[in-house]
Amino acid sequence: MKKERSKKYRLIQALRIVSQAGFFLLFFYLFTVTHYSGKDYIGQVETFFHFDPLLAIATSIAFRAVFVAFILAALTIVVTFVLGRIVCGWVCPLGSIHQFFSFIFKRTKLLKPKDKQNSPLSWKYYLLIFILISSIFTLDLVGIVDPLSLLYRSLAVGLFPALAHGASAFLGFLYSIRLSSLGDSLTQFFEGLALNSTFRQGFFIGLIFIGIVLLNISRERFWCRYLCPLGALLGLFSRWNVLKLKIDSQKCTKCKLCTIHCQTQATPFPDESWKSAECVYCFTCAAICPTNAVSFPLLPSPPKMAVDLSRRKLLLTSLLAVAAVPFFRISPSTKRASPKLIRPPGALPEEKFLQKCVKCGECMKACPTNALQPALGEAGPEGIWTPVVTPKIGYCEYYCSLCSQVCPTGAIKELRVEEKIKVKIGTAWVNKNRCIPYTLGNPCIVCEEHCPTSPKAIKLVKIEVLQPDGTIKTPLAPVIDTELCIGCGICENKCPVVDDPAIYVTSVGESRSERNRLLLELIKQEPDKKDPDERKKRNEKTDANFF
Amino acid sequence: MRELWNTSSHWEKDKTEMKRRDFLKDIALGTFLLELNPDLLAQKKNFPDLVLIQGDSPALITKEAIASLGGMKQFVSKGDVVIIKPNIGWDRTPEQAACTNPEVVKALVELSLGAGAKEVIVMDNPINQFQRCYVRSGIAAAAKEAGAKVPFPNPYHLKKMALKGEWLKEWEVFMEFVEADKIINVPIAKTHSLSRLTMGMKNWLGAIGGSRNQLHQKLDQAMIDLAAFFKPCLTVLDAYRILIRNGPQGGRPSDTKLLKTVVAGCDYVAVDAMGATFFDINPQDLPYLRIANQKGLGEINLEKLHIEKRTV
Repeated sequence: MKKERSKKYRLIQALRIVSQAGFFLLFFYLFTVTHYSGKDYIGQVETFFHFDPLLAIATSIAFRAVFVAFILAALTIVVTFVLGRIVCGWVCPLGSIHQFFSFIFKRTKLLKPKDKQNSPLSWKYYLLIFILISSIFTLDLVGIVDPLSLLYRSLAVGLFPALAHGASAFLGFLYSIRLSSLGDSLTQFFEGLALNSTFRQGFFIGLIFIGIVLLNISRERFWCRYLCPLGALLGLFSRWNVLKLKIDSQKCTKCKLCTIHCQTQATPFPDESWKSAECVYCFTCAAICPTNAVSFPLLPSPPKMAVDLSRRKLLLTSLLAVAAVPFFRISPSTKRASPKLIRPPGALPEEKFLQKCVKCGECMKACPTNALQPALGEAGPEGIWTPVVTPKIGYCEYYCSLCSQVCPTGAIKELRVEEKIKVKIGTAWVNKNRCIPYTLGNPCIVCEEHCPTSPKAIKLVKIEVLQPDGTIKTPLAPVIDTELCIGCGICENKCPVVDDPAIYVTSVGESRSERNRLLLELIKQEPDKKDPDERKKRNEKTDANFF
Repeated sequence: MRELWNTSSHWEKDKTEMKRRDFLKDIALGTFLLELNPDLLAQKKNFPDLVLIQGDSPALITKEAIASLGGMKQFVSKGDVVIIKPNIGWDRTPEQAACTNPEVVKALVELSLGAGAKEVIVMDNPINQFQRCYVRSGIAAAAKEAGAKVPFPNPYHLKKMALKGEWLKEWEVFMEFVEADKIINVPIAKTHSLSRLTMGMKNWLGAIGGSRNQLHQKLDQAMIDLAAFFKPCLTVLDAYRILIRNGPQGGRPSDTKLLKTVVAGCDYVAVDAMGATFFDINPQDLPYLRIANQKGLGEINLEKLHIEKRTV
């Protein structure tokens, strides 16, 4: 018998690797260009997410409406119906990362694949069921475990910030040894990437990702086999696919190489045990077979259900998901808006926002000032890793609406710049116990100077401040016109009282909420309605004071 | 020296009666004086202290202003590295008059290169996100088009320098400004709620790093210390469109006023003093100008200055 590996399948395998690299590079490219690059409007950099049926289905169920862009996910579903989980094996960028590292770990003998692998493939199906059932009850947790969200978030919040710090240290070294011209060109390169380098929880989000990658030491493509809910969903859709594995028993030497090296534990040998819903069509089995016995003919044969899901466990998972919903809602965030929960401009009302946000971190990547940070507790447990404007780290740039443009699910409604500048995301307050003019009597108008609205929301008034020696100083001190303030937070960001700024923004007054409002705003509206010129006059008067 | 040239103006009046012999004699005398003191012509006293040019084109009035001061060769020598410091502080467009007019900057880049500068750098340390400021002010594109380098502020180029000021003894300064042969300051005239106006001397807050927001507690002194340190060879105040309220950022077109003017001169204190008059402010009423004048950094009494005003 001729011992020869299949040329055809080795070629297909090579094509698959090219495809994986290509899609990963596309994902990566779209990731790196998601920042301000001289234009007010950014293109469709978030498109990758729209092909993800898991995000599409879960957010649509939770939000009770389909976001139009998710139509593209239908394409993935159709492909999966016909060709099985080919998207997992040929397209998914996270899958490619896992496969790459599995390969590395195999080569370094950290991972020694065995022919008997009985780990439960059903976990991911239960996870999927849990997510979908909780979505029915408006609890949207899909973003935490969706592979694209997970990868994007890990890159944006964990890995790239680490890269930025590493680069910064390296640049410092270059300049210290007087290689300034090399330093300058590298600096230019990194400026072009516009990396945000500061993230709360960046360490943990990065650590989770590294942990998931390290799981590949235990099993090849661990995440894809046991955890990925998108893989599970595509597995369910793949039941009627036409590509079926067949082993030519004449040629087969029962070496089990195919099963040992199967990336996703689909057990190609023997072929009646092959689980079509687990197969990602990497064609490793067909390419590795020393006798060219494995092939994938087109066979519309009866479906083989891959994994046995016990009815009891399904019921239990569903019950667990139902029980989880009220459990997640114990948090006070549902009762009263958190003052620190300043959402990006265009964010839907909190309840709706949480139903849509998939915690992908795309907005955090796009933010030019690094203002958007992943939430920890501010939005309750279900709002973990959702974006929060954190003025101490960055402020909301007045003429920028990038975060709203890149949001893949419409949790942040897309805004034109001229719409964005009218959106109020919070209100600034002066802490007179810390403010320099109020406490020390010294001049400081930094917050007023930075206030971007016209007329300015921060006015200056002359105040009297008693000095320790009994004398009185009369500096100008900031007073806030809450009606004009949009809550951008530049005042808090630039306040010279650095540790705990003397001016700070809280979420109250945000336009998106009907409850988190200032009563005063309603009262104030009255005179304006009667005399629209009055406010104008008042502002001009303040302006005139400068002279 | 001033008298010498004043006498020359009297012979201009009597030019018709001048004889050829006298003329030759004058030339001989002039040549002799130049032999003794070659710097004589380099003295800028023959040119006005300040020029104020008005006109429709920002580029044209800038070029005209420099020409009236004797041309860019008076300030820039062949092979010089010139740094031009506009105000690119804010994420605002030229119509909002928060940043220097890009055409004014562009004209200065062209003139500097025309005068033989080896390299022209245009940079600022903006307050809003730097890429946005560089792009939306229009300055980066305009300056690059004219052939300037427009680097972003690089924190690794900051170095603590001895400013030897009254208040600021030392501060972090971008080395581009220290290493350049010539510094040209191109501020825009705007209101400011603390220094009342921000023009040339306040513009130096954009050439430094560190906690700039702490300088406001003694802003006037900080401005003087910084201006005395940087010592621009030329200051061109962009008053094409000035910001008359809601400074230093403005926002609405109604916050601005179209003056179609530039002021240029070597005396940076005098340039700011001239600028103050655009806002109907007496230079004497601006503490920073008064103190700078007392310290001998420049003139604020505009009547003492030879000012050339023209419309083109």
